[in-house]
Amino acid sequence: MRIVRSVRHKLCADGSFMKEFLLDTPVTKEFFAYLGAFGQVEALPNLGEGFYKFEKPDWFSIKGFAGDTTVEVRFKKEVIDLTVDFVYSLFSTYHEGKIDSSVLKRREEAIGVKVRKHLYGT
Amino acid sequence: MTGTPPLIYLNNAATSWPKPPEVLEAITKSLSLPVFGSGRTTGSHGEDYVLMAREALSRILGADPPEHVIFTQNATDSLNILIQGFLTGKEHGCQVLTTALDHNSVLRPLTEYEQQHRIRLTVLPFSKGYVDPDSIASAIGPDTRLMVMTHGSNVLGSVQDIRTIGEILHDNGVYFIVDGAQTAGHIPIDLSTLPVDAYVFTGHKGLLGLQGTGGFYVRDPESIAPVRFGGTGTDSFSLLHPRGMPERFEAGTHNYPGLAGLAAGVKFIEETGIATIENKAARQVSCLIRELREDPNITVYQDDPALPIIPFNIKGLQNDDVGFMLARRYGIIARTGLHCAPLLHRAIDGGMGCIRLSLSWFTTDQECSIAADAIKEIANHADSQVSPA
Repeated sequence: MRIVRSVRHKLCADGSFMKEFLLDTPVTKEFFAYLGAFGQVEALPNLGEGFYKFEKPDWFSIKGFAGDTTVEVRFKKEVIDLTVDFVYSLFSTYHEGKIDSSVLKRREEAIGVKVRKHLYGT
Repeated sequence: MTGTPPLIYLNNAATSWPKPPEVLEAITKSLSLPVFGSGRTTGSHGEDYVLMAREALSRILGADPPEHVIFTQNATDSLNILIQGFLTGKEHGCQVLTTALDHNSVLRPLTEYEQQHRIRLTVLPFSKGYVDPDSIASAIGPDTRLMVMTHGSNVLGSVQDIRTIGEILHDNGVYFIVDGAQTAGHIPIDLSTLPVDAYVFTGHKGLLGLQGTGGFYVRDPESIAPVRFGGTGTDSFSLLHPRGMPERFEAGTHNYPGLAGLAAGVKFIEETGIATIENKAARQVSCLIRELREDPNITVYQDDPALPIIPFNIKGLQNDDVGFMLARRYGIIARTGLHCAPLLHRAIDGGMGCIRLSLSWFTTDQECSIAADAIKEIANHADSQVSPA
């Protein structure tokens, strides 16, 4: 799966920065399940094709309906420069079948150190 | 998801849509000929759209004389001009009153002046959507000079008793600026009988005009110092800005297409009948609220709004997520978050914000029914929230 482009963006009332991304294929329930390895996923699976929301506190959230080719990503504004590439990687790494997330997990750890230092100085 | 649902626009308190065809035609017509504006051209072919709009606003607001109706960019612009103009020359540290119901268009200018120690700001609380006039009377002191408050809440849809409040303020020599951004065009307003010193309106909400139009009515122009200066097309030899009305508060070229549309919007409201508009909205709002209240997972924050505004939340779901679901799955456009009214939200939902539905004359009963069903469907599924991971 690949992010084609950002189709909309805005600064939200809660201070987060929202980007709506157009994808080359629709998101699926399985995609959000895969995201669960990197944060928390909540769902209303019986609402239409299913509403899903992934939250990675201090980094970003991703929400969308299964079957849609757009998702809404809300970045914590203060660290968006550190985390935006990881969003692209989350999408590009995903594919059907067994996924090796080891490289992503190492990147997550490295970025996490920078995010914590930027936000909390530790 | 397969297919795109039809658009149901319920965000009219932000900006109304659609506009009446007459508004679009007036704007197109205004652009089809050179502008005719007194003092600015030798041409005389077109309509004087500024005069048309001024007379239209004067009629619909009961605001006499028409020259005391001033055009600005929007309600926020008007409030800034009025607040700054009123405080010019007033003693530093005087008390100004406002309310926790108010929009940032009021709160932010006043807070800026408070930070600069120009004023002492008192923010009055509300209960069940209303500010108690007695609390205003109690807050007035010997140095209270001004009260700025909303007429109709942009979140709760409650309309304040500005007659009683204005009488209290005037009895105590306090100047009264009313923010009518949400009421103009929705309910009957007769400023000739109301104890209001200045009333602010916007063109693109209930008055059905374009964004970038708005203004205010001021009863006594001398009470507000002009804060903008420039070309007016009149008295051009003088290097000082004219003090006559309406030039006192209007500098630079007007938004002619916008004012043409605004005049047409007002005419549409007059021909439809503001009581007819108000009654239809009341019926639809009452029906929607009754539907939403059937679901115990839905919290509606105002029982009987006088404006077509319905604020609500669904237990267990963030308001932004509900807005996302409504838009994506049902094509229902609402607004979520704080609605530029942070103090109000702090009082009603702990500052988390809510979802706001806002209707217009063009909202159909079927759209209301679809919206109610959609919200109840989401609320029903809120109970089934699970983690798929």
